[in-house]
Amino acid sequence: MRPFFALLILTWPRAFRARFGAEMLGHAVEECDSAFDEGWGTGWRAVLGTALDVLGAGIAERLHPSWSGISGGGVDFEMGVRTMMGRWMGDLAHAGRTLRRAPGFTAATVATLALALGVTGGIFGFVDAVLLRPLPWPGADRLVYVVASAPGSDLPEEFPVSREFVVQYEEATTLSSLGAFNDFTSTLRADDRVERLRQSVVTAGFFTAFEVAPVLGRLPTPDDERGVLISHALWTTWFGADPSVLGRSYEFADGPREVIGVMPEDFRFPRADVAAWLPFSFTAEDIANPGRFGEFGIVGRLADGADVAAVERELSALARRLPERFGGSPAYARTIEQHVPVVRPLRDEILGPVSGPLWVLMGAVTLVLLIACGNVAGLFTVRSEGRIRDMAVRRAVGAGRGDLMRAQLAEAVVVAGLAGTAALGIAHLAIPAFVRMAPDGLPRIEDVALSWSTAVFVLLAAAAAALLSGFVPALRAAAPDLARLRDGARGSTRERRWGRDALVAGQTALALVLLVGSGLLLRSFHELRSVDPGFDTEDILTFQFAPSESHLVDGPTWARFHMDAMERFRALPGVEAVGIIENVPLDESLRQFPFTAESTGAVAEESGPRLGVTFAAHDYFAAMGIGVLEGRGFIPDDALVGGSVVLSRGAADLLFPGESPLGRRLRNQGIEAWHTVVGVVEDVRQDDLRSPVTPVAYYPLVGPEPRSWAMTSPGYVIRSSRASSLGPEVRAIVRELAPSAPLYRVYTMEYLVDRSMVQLSFTMLTLVIAAGLALLLGSIGLYGVLSYMVAERTQEIGVRMALGAEAGRVRRMVVRQGARILALGILGGLLVAAAASRALGALLFGVAPFDPWTFGATALAMGGVGLMATYLPARRASLVDPIQSMRGG
Amino acid sequence: MPTSAQDGLSNLEYHVLLAVCQGPLHGYAIRDAVEAESAGALAPRAGTLYRVIARLASAGLVGETDGSSEPHPGLARRYYELTAEGRMALADEARRLEGAAALALQRLGARP
Repeated sequence: MRPFFALLILTWPRAFRARFGAEMLGHAVEECDSAFDEGWGTGWRAVLGTALDVLGAGIAERLHPSWSGISGGGVDFEMGVRTMMGRWMGDLAHAGRTLRRAPGFTAATVATLALALGVTGGIFGFVDAVLLRPLPWPGADRLVYVVASAPGSDLPEEFPVSREFVVQYEEATTLSSLGAFNDFTSTLRADDRVERLRQSVVTAGFFTAFEVAPVLGRLPTPDDERGVLISHALWTTWFGADPSVLGRSYEFADGPREVIGVMPEDFRFPRADVAAWLPFSFTAEDIANPGRFGEFGIVGRLADGADVAAVERELSALARRLPERFGGSPAYARTIEQHVPVVRPLRDEILGPVSGPLWVLMGAVTLVLLIACGNVAGLFTVRSEGRIRDMAVRRAVGAGRGDLMRAQLAEAVVVAGLAGTAALGIAHLAIPAFVRMAPDGLPRIEDVALSWSTAVFVLLAAAAAALLSGFVPALRAAAPDLARLRDGARGSTRERRWGRDALVAGQTALALVLLVGSGLLLRSFHELRSVDPGFDTEDILTFQFAPSESHLVDGPTWARFHMDAMERFRALPGVEAVGIIENVPLDESLRQFPFTAESTGAVAEESGPRLGVTFAAHDYFAAMGIGVLEGRGFIPDDALVGGSVVLSRGAADLLFPGESPLGRRLRNQGIEAWHTVVGVVEDVRQDDLRSPVTPVAYYPLVGPEPRSWAMTSPGYVIRSSRASSLGPEVRAIVRELAPSAPLYRVYTMEYLVDRSMVQLSFTMLTLVIAAGLALLLGSIGLYGVLSYMVAERTQEIGVRMALGAEAGRVRRMVVRQGARILALGILGGLLVAAAASRALGALLFGVAPFDPWTFGATALAMGGVGLMATYLPARRASLVDPIQSMRGG
Repeated sequence: MPTSAQDGLSNLEYHVLLAVCQGPLHGYAIRDAVEAESAGALAPRAGTLYRVIARLASAGLVGETDGSSEPHPGLARRYYELTAEGRMALADEARRLEGAAALALQRLGARP
């Protein structure tokens, strides 16, 4: 710390420095030392504060001198700093000159470190923006997220609560404010623009809990039912950031609402893509039928002195009293008995799912950096061995150990300095590339950039790399046996080799850890790709459009519109089948409701099995390649008459176990009219390929009444071998049918499959790159060490060959030595990988963390590549000319 | 630019003079005294503190003394004490502050 402050004090005017420099330095150091006694946080704050103060006051002193006196007695400070700095500057300059004379060595070390530092910096840019920066809301660490769980019931592991919970929880004293939200994708219509965008209903407490104010307009009042707050993104993209948007009315999910405010750019909750928050309110009196679970997520702010556990206790007690206050069926009372509230910091809820993969990547690139440091350290060691006599001479003529160590470290500092600078350039290029590869839902990805903190991190990592890679050679330079070497004694080769061998074995181990990790992810990826989603993933195009023609007023008019449109698409050349579906699999998820079958009669509805509900028509099942197992799929009449329903296999098994569901009737909590089952189809994976299949009931386009429901913008599914090139023709038809309706969410099913796996593929790809780098660097390290060994033992090899050793034997000798190092490294690597592979956790699919095949195959690959690296040195050894070698020695 | 007594003293200057009023102190002790006597409002860090000391020394309000009673290992510490001029400047400032404070209390008292 002393040299650091001494440097800063050099900014002061000379006269001031001479008189007060030493005192000021002592003062600054003492101040920071005593701050560190109170803890690291206080200490570092003091260092930063004092540094800024010394710097700022120094500049002020230069502008407005306060010291007019004559210097006296301050020489010791100047001298001390100057000697210290002078020595370092001298060493650095000398290191610069020597490195310039060895361009090959310099290029190799700088490039190795720069590459590793650049990649590390790139990933750190992600970690920093996504994980390390605090959430952008005031007191965000006091925000908690609340959902429900009911262990032992058939409800999902965690599920959003029903509205009576919200009313009941409002009495909690451990939460100072509490808001409920429910987000979904729905049509938004403004002027001539229509799109399905994410919207969220929110209760008034939602904004209170976040303590955020709109950048424009106002927050809703408690009974504001027809106002709406829009996102900053929507405001800029749809309305050109025009302030006059306030007060205008547009069609949101539930009809016209008046824009009352624009939220700040960094307010993106519950999802990053929320475009509008629709204020919504209800009271205890509005709740006639408790137990409609799955409706609301809750966010709350901890009251002073309360913690997560206290909130859990209080909410648990409050929830117990729900049946007493709101009534409900016996099944409801049973669910409440099993209910356990789940409360966790909002930060964990938002960042939890991505923190694992990102830290895995950070760990991976750190390993690559360590391997790179190992290589550079190896190169430095080899280089310093070459200069051992030179150093021995310097020691003999009086250079201290410190001087020699400094000289060695100076080279590492110069190399790392150059590498750090180059790494900034690499990170600058790598970060946008990583961002393009990154998964869609990664929170705060828009903030990922080469920030100041990333730049500082890269430079600090470069400094650490300088220490790491310069430390071993510097110790060698200071070794006590150095003096013995000055007369040319070769010292004990074995002892010196040990350090280098350990270095390479360590590198091999680290590289193998990365290889195992990427091997496990590759296998997961393969397993996931071979999951049968229940539908075909090729030759399918899906898209949506939202017509707004004035004659479209109810279920039947919409249904007729879509049936006509489907006929048009069907007539396109090369189209085999066309269908529509409310929620395209892998694109949107389903709403779930408890179902009742007619035969089971009296059983209360909320205890019935929960099935996903969606709407489909025409040749949807044929277009998707979903097999019809029993009965039939939808026919055009179903879309216009209604009353029929198609079940997925899982749904049929749940509702009618062991019997045929055809002709049976069912209803659910959302759609209360009875519907007759006309067919059973294969199950599909709705959310992603990892999740189990969702049991689904497919309803037709029209309900029992014209106003029951209307499909305003369902997903169209077209099966055609020309799926990826149909876009323009589809667009032309849409323009004809509904001139003002935009076409959106145009995807091929292949794209949706890729998108559903993007988190895995991103981590996998990055890890594979890291592992590839590690393998390359590790084998270069091995190659370097063996080459050096061969060069060092040229004389010995020459003698052996002169005595009749065959070339093959010499080759084997070198390979054997390389193999020993490799084996040690592989053994160590397997042990570390076994301990570390758990970190991949949720990313793995269909493969155990200790998958023996992956471990074996990667160990073999590592060994194979390693042995190849030993080949060149071994060949060189076998080509040693005995005469030459002895002459040259 | 040396501060003269007529210019009035900054708050920090006043507190530094106040600190060395009772006897010679070294830099770090001055800092501690300033922090304690200003009830934590002022806690100058190294750069700011030594600029003020330099300014007061240039103006002749504090002087340097060797009166070290507790030799400090390592760093030779220097002690600062109030000069006669400094004592006058401090007294002037104290009276000025007293007048200003009395005025404030009087006005506040007049308008409860």
